[in-house]
Amino acid sequence: MRVYLLRRLLAVIPVMLVVATVAFVLVHLAPGDPASVIAGPYATADDVGKLRRQLGLDEPLPMQLVRWYGRLLTGDLGDSIFLRRPVLEAVLDRLEPTLLLTALAILIAVIIGVPAGVVSARYHNSGTDQSLMALALLGVSVPNFLLGLLMILVFGVWLRWLPVAGYVPLADGLWLNLRSLLMPAFSLGVVQSALIARITRSSMLDVLREQYILAGRARGLHEAVVVYKHALKNAIIPTLTVVGITFAILIGGAVVIETVFNIPGLGRLIISAVLRRDYPVIQGVVLLIALAYTMVNLAVDLAYLALDPRIRYQ
Amino acid sequence: MTNRIALIAMIAVVFTAAPAAAQDTPRAGGILKAAMIGEPPSLDIHWTTAVITQQITWHIYEGLYTYDTQFDPIPMLAEGHTIADGGRRYTIALRRGVKFHNGKEMTSADAVASLQRWGKMATPGKALWKNVEAVEAKDPYTVVISLKEPSGSLLYGLGRPNNGAAIYPKSVIDVAGENQVKEFIGTGPYRFVEHRPDRHIRLARFKEYVARTDAPDGYGGRRTAYVDEILFLPVSDVAVRLAGVETGEYHFATQIKQDQYDRLKTMPALEPRVVKPSGWATAVPNHKQGVMTSKKIRQAFLAALDMESIMVAAVGNRDFLRLDPGLFYPEQGMWHSTVGKNAFSQNDKEKARRLLREAGYTGQPIRWITTKEYDWMYKSALVAKQQLEAVGFVVDLQVVDWATLVQRRNKPEVFDIFSTGFGFTADPALATSLQCNWPGWWCSEEKDRLMADLAREVDPKKRRALIDRLQAIFYEDVGRIKFGDYFLLDVVRKELRGFRSTPELFFWNAWLAK
Repeated sequence: MRVYLLRRLLAVIPVMLVVATVAFVLVHLAPGDPASVIAGPYATADDVGKLRRQLGLDEPLPMQLVRWYGRLLTGDLGDSIFLRRPVLEAVLDRLEPTLLLTALAILIAVIIGVPAGVVSARYHNSGTDQSLMALALLGVSVPNFLLGLLMILVFGVWLRWLPVAGYVPLADGLWLNLRSLLMPAFSLGVVQSALIARITRSSMLDVLREQYILAGRARGLHEAVVVYKHALKNAIIPTLTVVGITFAILIGGAVVIETVFNIPGLGRLIISAVLRRDYPVIQGVVLLIALAYTMVNLAVDLAYLALDPRIRYQ
Repeated sequence: MTNRIALIAMIAVVFTAAPAAAQDTPRAGGILKAAMIGEPPSLDIHWTTAVITQQITWHIYEGLYTYDTQFDPIPMLAEGHTIADGGRRYTIALRRGVKFHNGKEMTSADAVASLQRWGKMATPGKALWKNVEAVEAKDPYTVVISLKEPSGSLLYGLGRPNNGAAIYPKSVIDVAGENQVKEFIGTGPYRFVEHRPDRHIRLARFKEYVARTDAPDGYGGRRTAYVDEILFLPVSDVAVRLAGVETGEYHFATQIKQDQYDRLKTMPALEPRVVKPSGWATAVPNHKQGVMTSKKIRQAFLAALDMESIMVAAVGNRDFLRLDPGLFYPEQGMWHSTVGKNAFSQNDKEKARRLLREAGYTGQPIRWITTKEYDWMYKSALVAKQQLEAVGFVVDLQVVDWATLVQRRNKPEVFDIFSTGFGFTADPALATSLQCNWPGWWCSEEKDRLMADLAREVDPKKRRALIDRLQAIFYEDVGRIKFGDYFLLDVVRKELRGFRSTPELFFWNAWLAK
């Protein structure tokens, strides 16, 4: 087990190296440069050129790549061109909104998705099943930003229950913080819940056909005990995988929702960095997201152990 | 008895009139929240021509001059000036007792250091400084600028808000040199408090602000910081900016889609503002390299276009566009000219085809870079493309993001046309639309000679004559293709009072009624 863990952790290093290189190359291959953006619309080519030299952007790419590796080895992600501060600091600053948003979204997704999937499976092919799955199909198909904008219109503009946008830090109070996150988390969570419902339903259906379920029922166990205790526990593994992947995706991928709701999270950080070609930030965030991805994957794999004693890692 | 009735009546009048009067009397206090389109690339105004940097930092920094209602230069940090040596020497007296946000008094040492840095770094500064021989401090309150030849542009340049000649403390400049300043200190009515990227930029009233005593006039005169704080919030989604101002989360939202204008007019809590003028929508041909270097092809390009359909498609609401041939705006009085109006929107397909034949055009693709980040740029290009293809042009429309566009336009080998807008410039001689060293490289012997004359000329009448001639060349040589003037739509909540919508955004002299 320990060997397995060590092997998995060591495997992160080459992954990070590849990600670091690909991120650097892709970012620099893309057209556009930060100097033109800083200089503004009325700057002349000479002004832009001068700024490029000042920012050290005129160095040959291989040199810049080597520098980037060198800094990484010392754990330094470099400084943002626009934010006038280290990348790591900028990322840490954005972690709170993103983590809270992600956690809340997953919570909403699980609270809606798992019961819906279980009920659908239990009443397989019934009217309830079909309507729930139709809703799930709708949920998967609606883009989350559309849901977000509709919610802004209904709950923000018409009913005035929730603020239309913006983020209130946790330090300013839990209630205010929740209020600012509710709509974005819901827009993200609903879409994910549809996916979770579908996965839960199909794996529940598989499990419900197993012989031990039949045996349980034959012994006269209550249907609820059969479904919720014996079947669900075994059917939850694929759901857990989806939740894990969702978590990883949301950490770096709530870009659109963070933009729509004006939440200063990692998604906003990376999208504004891309639009302005803030190279160090793009590279740094991509690297950190890749790291989060691999770590979440590892955590999910380890969670399997706890949930299903049949699984063993060598 | 009659006296008593009169008294009661008087009291009644006073009391019923009081609320109205109270609302229109400026009131100090409150936090003004302004929803902006994004984040400034820098807070060092000497560094960038980005409009959003100017809009935010203009509250922090001030220059020696600014503009009055007619967009003519008037003193700001300067008390006044005298001109000697045949227009070659400007002796500028500074106002005394003006404090920086760090508590130190502004003196000529700060002004000289700032002007020198600006002349070395800023785009308009560099243009002006070609003519500047020396900037010296004669005494703590006097700055002398010596010119190589007389200039009609110097004061306009010093008063320019965009990439403007802000006066920083010398100590800040000594630390920064030509790198970005690390401290954002000026003499303005608001001082910088904090910048939390993607959250807000917070400014607070500068309690020791020394205002001018003359009445407010344009951007100048007495500036009063009524609100305690200004929060500039980056809200990149236009729908969210609008929703936020509707619900009262923001007091001001900039650049709302113009098609919302009619709906906004019906909303009692809001006041839509037409920002007039804002800029002109344009396409810039590459005069340095490629197919557009042919004058006949440029003329064919211009002849083929119908500006009305282009502008309507681009802007969407006729209240926000103006079909005007002027290089400068009607709001600029003397500088507005209608020379060349027949060439402005020709929509003459026959002429365009003939010119193309004469030019020997054989279907080389016109590489036109545009962007959807500014919706009107993309839409104007799209409609123009159809009109051009109807006369035989082959247009290769390349839609990229803004960061790519501003990079590629500096490379003459990769494009033939690019989309952009030219904002408001008070001084004709400093207008980007006419500069030879700006992307597009529209250089011609006569035009550049006239531009040099324009920069030198002090007499407004003679300046106007030069503008007429420049505008004629603009259409004859097709320096740029002007589609028309566009206006932006800002929205304010009714409780934001005393706020004027001008080409440049500012919140001093504005207050919150509740």
